[in-house]
Amino acid sequence: MKKGMEMSTQPYAEGGRGPTSSSNPPSASSLLVADCGTVFTKVSLFGLVEGQYRLMARGEAPTTIAPPYEDITKGIIQAINVIEFTTGRLFISEGQIISPEQPSGDGVDAFISTISTGGPLRLVVLGAVDANLERFATQAVSGLYAQANSLPSPSQIAASAPVPVGAGALSSRGDAAGPWTPERIALEWERQKERMRELQPHVALIVGMANGPAGPAPLQEACQLLVNAARERNEQHGASSSADIAASDIASQQIAVLYAGAPQYVEAVQSMLQGTAEVTRVESLVSPAQIGPTSVAIGGLYERDIIQRVPGYNRLHSWSSSALVPTATSLSSLVRFLAQHYSMNVTAVDVGGAATTLMMAGEGGEFVPMVNCGVGVGPGVGAVLQLVGIERIARWLSFDITEDELQQYVLNRMLHPHVVPTSQRDLQINQAFAREALISTVELARANSAEWLDADLILATGGIFAHAPKYGQAALMLLDALQPRGVTSLVLDRTMLIAQLGAIATVAPIAAVQVNENDAVTHRLGTCVIPFGTMPQGEIAVRVGLEYTNGRQVTVDVMGGTIEVIPLMTNEQALLSLFPAPSVDVGLGRGERARAAEEIDGGLVGLIIDARGRPLILPDNNKLRQQRLLQWMQAIGA
Amino acid sequence: MTYLLGWSVIPQILVRRERWPGGCKAKAVPLVHPGQEVQAHQPVIRLEGIEPIETALTAPYLSTLTVKGVPLRADSPQAQAGARERDQCPGKTLSAGLSGRVVAITRRGGVIIESHVAVLQGVIGAGNQVAGKLTMWQPPASGGGEESIPADALLIIPGPLNSTMLRQAAATGIAGIIASSISSRDLERFLHVDLVKLIDCIDVESAQARLPRLTILLTEGPGTMSMPARTIELLSQYQGSFALLSGATSIRQGIFPELVISLSATQIQQNWRPVRPDTTHSVGVQVRVCSGDHEGAIGIIDYLYAHQQEFASGIFARAARLRLEDGTLLTVPLTLIERIS
Repeated sequence: MKKGMEMSTQPYAEGGRGPTSSSNPPSASSLLVADCGTVFTKVSLFGLVEGQYRLMARGEAPTTIAPPYEDITKGIIQAINVIEFTTGRLFISEGQIISPEQPSGDGVDAFISTISTGGPLRLVVLGAVDANLERFATQAVSGLYAQANSLPSPSQIAASAPVPVGAGALSSRGDAAGPWTPERIALEWERQKERMRELQPHVALIVGMANGPAGPAPLQEACQLLVNAARERNEQHGASSSADIAASDIASQQIAVLYAGAPQYVEAVQSMLQGTAEVTRVESLVSPAQIGPTSVAIGGLYERDIIQRVPGYNRLHSWSSSALVPTATSLSSLVRFLAQHYSMNVTAVDVGGAATTLMMAGEGGEFVPMVNCGVGVGPGVGAVLQLVGIERIARWLSFDITEDELQQYVLNRMLHPHVVPTSQRDLQINQAFAREALISTVELARANSAEWLDADLILATGGIFAHAPKYGQAALMLLDALQPRGVTSLVLDRTMLIAQLGAIATVAPIAAVQVNENDAVTHRLGTCVIPFGTMPQGEIAVRVGLEYTNGRQVTVDVMGGTIEVIPLMTNEQALLSLFPAPSVDVGLGRGERARAAEEIDGGLVGLIIDARGRPLILPDNNKLRQQRLLQWMQAIGA
Repeated sequence: MTYLLGWSVIPQILVRRERWPGGCKAKAVPLVHPGQEVQAHQPVIRLEGIEPIETALTAPYLSTLTVKGVPLRADSPQAQAGARERDQCPGKTLSAGLSGRVVAITRRGGVIIESHVAVLQGVIGAGNQVAGKLTMWQPPASGGGEESIPADALLIIPGPLNSTMLRQAAATGIAGIIASSISSRDLERFLHVDLVKLIDCIDVESAQARLPRLTILLTEGPGTMSMPARTIELLSQYQGSFALLSGATSIRQGIFPELVISLSATQIQQNWRPVRPDTTHSVGVQVRVCSGDHEGAIGIIDYLYAHQQEFASGIFARAARLRLEDGTLLTVPLTLIERIS
């Protein structure tokens, strides 16, 4: 069992010299950091206070990449205006950031921006795609704002189909739909052309060696599919049917091709795609070793084809002290840093308007990223509903809801992503979507990764958590969706800073560390004990002993199927002892007692004992389920 | 911000729109050239080799909807005329829908027209771009004349719709319908699609092509909201005008439905004052509540709070106090209101 973050938040080893104001170059004594999300843009001002970087003010405004604004910097300026109002300092003059900081206090020394708006990079995997290559491609985009869809070539599908049992060597291959006749292959070809129209990819990744069952034909078919798609785009190119938007970029833009297939065919592929697509060769994707380079190449295309095409990019770039960093990349840097620095397994979750991100980093260097593009609590609620269905959303609600009401909610939310829930009912629905967005992201990450880490620390960021009216609501969303086991700590990023810290570190690493300690992880919700195994319903699952630093002792029996919160407030510590029932595990084996060697930290909620069982199963009976949800909400203060 | 041009109703603005029918795998032959002045009813495109994409709907015959007292039936003359026109695929011509100047021809053969217009933007809609005559619906009891509606009518119903009304409208052969709202289920029943999927699609052309041939624009969105007075006023003012209606809605592509009506030459000469919509919230401006219990309510900003206000959900947000049309005061988060004029 590890201690929470507050036990060792100094970035320098004991005896080491910590940063002081004199060690910070004057050029970085103040920073403005913008995080441009799909729905909202958040800007934070950092400055030196007694030699330490601190958050001084923050502002928020709607993101402005869509008409009528069509300039991302307008939203940033609006958010900065909020900071100007709060601090009385000026940061913008004639549409430019005032830099460096002036003796009057106006201006800042550095401007940094992270970005998650602009939509995901749509990638299609073509060629001799088999299950392994599909998995490698999925892993290559898992930490990026990118969506991958595979379209194995028709000849690859036909050649990979099983030969019916008892068929002779000359028999055609087939499946439940029958043999792969030329007619069926032609039909599949048409289906793929249609699919290309639906997907409208920005990038094609061509994979597969020529020694597969279909030989080099899949590579040729991939090229042919791209040639067809390009011709169709060219012929169908028109202006948007609405407003004064210029012809959709995608219609006039060439598909970028990453060639990760058989090396001996690279020239042939380049020749086939000449005038159709720009082909970039990357290492042939044949094993997990090539996932990294492929991911880097796709990341580069994301920057070029998505970030650099965001309206207002040039002005934003001119303000910035460093390249714009995708928010997910920034978050991944922070999570890996924290895992390494504090020698613990760290999980960070970011539920955004149109993407849900899960980043897990282990003390041993393990790293599991998962950006679930399109799934979120803004415009992404539609995708959540499509993905999980109405029942899975409704199961988290403590009241009855009709399908019509839920659908109406989703449509309204998609059409008006900026709205905040004003009623309790809307808030619960909103939080139900956040749970399912996270659950589907966890499922994706599990399916995509061989390793899984039990988190010692869970960081939660994103508007749905930061704006949760009660800390218990944030804690319950995390416990319901992530379903951690054993002992973990929950930290809420109330200031929505953690996703920016990785980007800050590229310009001012000391500022990133100090802001992390001083401002980003200050809303510690508490330590959680999550027993698992066979939970005896209605009987004692675990007896919890707590010995506070003032000597006071408390013993609480926690029943199976319940949540209990034992008071242990922020800045309080206590020694924890756990006595599980014989069928229950608290991390050391069934029935094994545990006593912490070090004191555990309290938090804004307290010490949470979640004895509901893992996996968490909600009662089928509607009334009973609603009753349980209310009990759990009440217990945790939600 | 739902409204791409800033406000839902813009009485005067200069816009460019591509005239493109969608929904047909056709070769479009432009009949005009850049620089040419065109009239709204003037044919500008001829379609050749049309292969209409199969639609999901077979509109049933329902006889209760009437326009100006005339029951509309699938086999009525106007319905047949509409059906005939749709079926006249080889050599079919498309009228401009807008009066103005041709500024470009797109690669697919669409004609981009620049025009001085009034624009009405909807919250949600469905269907391809159509041109037609704006025709106000008259309830049967209104004593309106026994006039027939034109086959290419863009029918204005200044209130909420239901699926029966939509089916009846489709059966009459009209080109489009403009109404305030409809329940999402009713709209789905009519369109035979998952609405969430439809507005979340990337390939807008293909998605619209599979819909019934009736273009729909809803000014207020899903629900049972009524049409604001100023919207009715604008539509009444242009009753009988030829206009261009598009129902396509795609959140991902940033496409929303709109009705574009060219101003007359007299209006342009005598009264041309282009509106530059300002979307900032300040005291005295008219706004619309776009979500929550008061969705669709129109009011004037009476006060802007300097500090965040707490709402029933427990959430704190920057807020405004509105004086609604009935005189009541309402405090709402700024993110829940959209400036409309």
